[in-house]
Amino acid sequence: MTGSARYLAIAVCSATLTCAATIPRTVDGKPDLSGVWQSGGVSLYGEPGLGTRPAAPPPVNPPPKREPLPYQPWAETRSKTFTPADDPDLRCLLAGIPRITSMPMPFEIIQTPKKIVITYESYHAFRLIPINDKLQHPNDLVPTWMGDSVARWDGDTLVVDVTGFNDKTWLSGTGSFHSEDLHVVERFQLNSDDTITYTATVTDPKVLTKPWVTGALLRRPPNTRVEEYECNENNQDAPHMDVKK
Amino acid sequence: MKIPNRNKLLVACVGLVLSAMPALAHHSFAAEYESKDLVTLTGVITKVEWTNPHIYFYIDVKDASGNIVNWAVEGYPPNTLKRTGFTRDDLKIGDKVTVTAYRAKDSTTRLAGREVTFPDGSKKFAGPAGAQ
Repeated sequence: MTGSARYLAIAVCSATLTCAATIPRTVDGKPDLSGVWQSGGVSLYGEPGLGTRPAAPPPVNPPPKREPLPYQPWAETRSKTFTPADDPDLRCLLAGIPRITSMPMPFEIIQTPKKIVITYESYHAFRLIPINDKLQHPNDLVPTWMGDSVARWDGDTLVVDVTGFNDKTWLSGTGSFHSEDLHVVERFQLNSDDTITYTATVTDPKVLTKPWVTGALLRRPPNTRVEEYECNENNQDAPHMDVKK
Repeated sequence: MKIPNRNKLLVACVGLVLSAMPALAHHSFAAEYESKDLVTLTGVITKVEWTNPHIYFYIDVKDASGNIVNWAVEGYPPNTLKRTGFTRDDLKIGDKVTVTAYRAKDSTTRLAGREVTFPDGSKKFAGPAGAQ
């Protein structure tokens, strides 16, 4: 679909709200997720409350509301022992999944029939995600910050299965630790209003009582390309965190 | 079809409110700065660090006793500033600027910059509002 055709489709969809089929597609008929996306932040939405950017229209397919993490009692207790000074991101370490999706920086999806690539500006993270209908991971995984991702198409939704994590990242806010048994299933659904509804279902039987679902609405940030972010260049904040244990 | 669409729109509006909430990256604002202690300082730019994960610029400010104190002002990352219209060239060594900023919790001469007023009177946001 050309750029003008895409925008025409969006205009028609906005007028009717009944436009399931009008999304851009690749030559093999899959939804075309390619491009630069971002879930939030001042460079996407402008200064909060000041109207520095035109207000975004309501999304046609909003993501799920984020609930508190359903920690087991011992894990809830441990979670509260952490402070912002313990945040791995404060030390410029990879943010893990799903947390990296909510960073206020852009990322780019590059889509081929056999592989999806996601390059994140934040922390220079990258993911090479083979399309693999059986969602089979390699059998030689060693725990890592971003885990191992494989994907399949479920109709028009890209489903990404991620495992092989270390236990050093946080899932969202302060103290949201997990174990190496973390397993994340992400769903990327391209909508007729040129947004992506991102949903992540997080399971970790060692620390959670049930699956935890979180999500984000991804929009295309205007005039934006993914650029360099060398987080360790001048990282002065850590010694100045004023927190009480 | 009308009723589902209305419901869909209602849900969509709720979703927008949630998605528009400010997201933080790299470090907690509240753990480092006093979000309600907004000060206004006027001084001369002595150094600019257009760096990640945050920019810093330094200003010489005369205190109540007439002594010059050099303050460090932290801002958004360079890419975020560029995308919001604040460029590296806006900060010139030797320029006199007025800065609104939040004091550091550890009482050092560090500030979280919010707004910069440039010599021509124009203003730009350098960092987030403390309430975030």
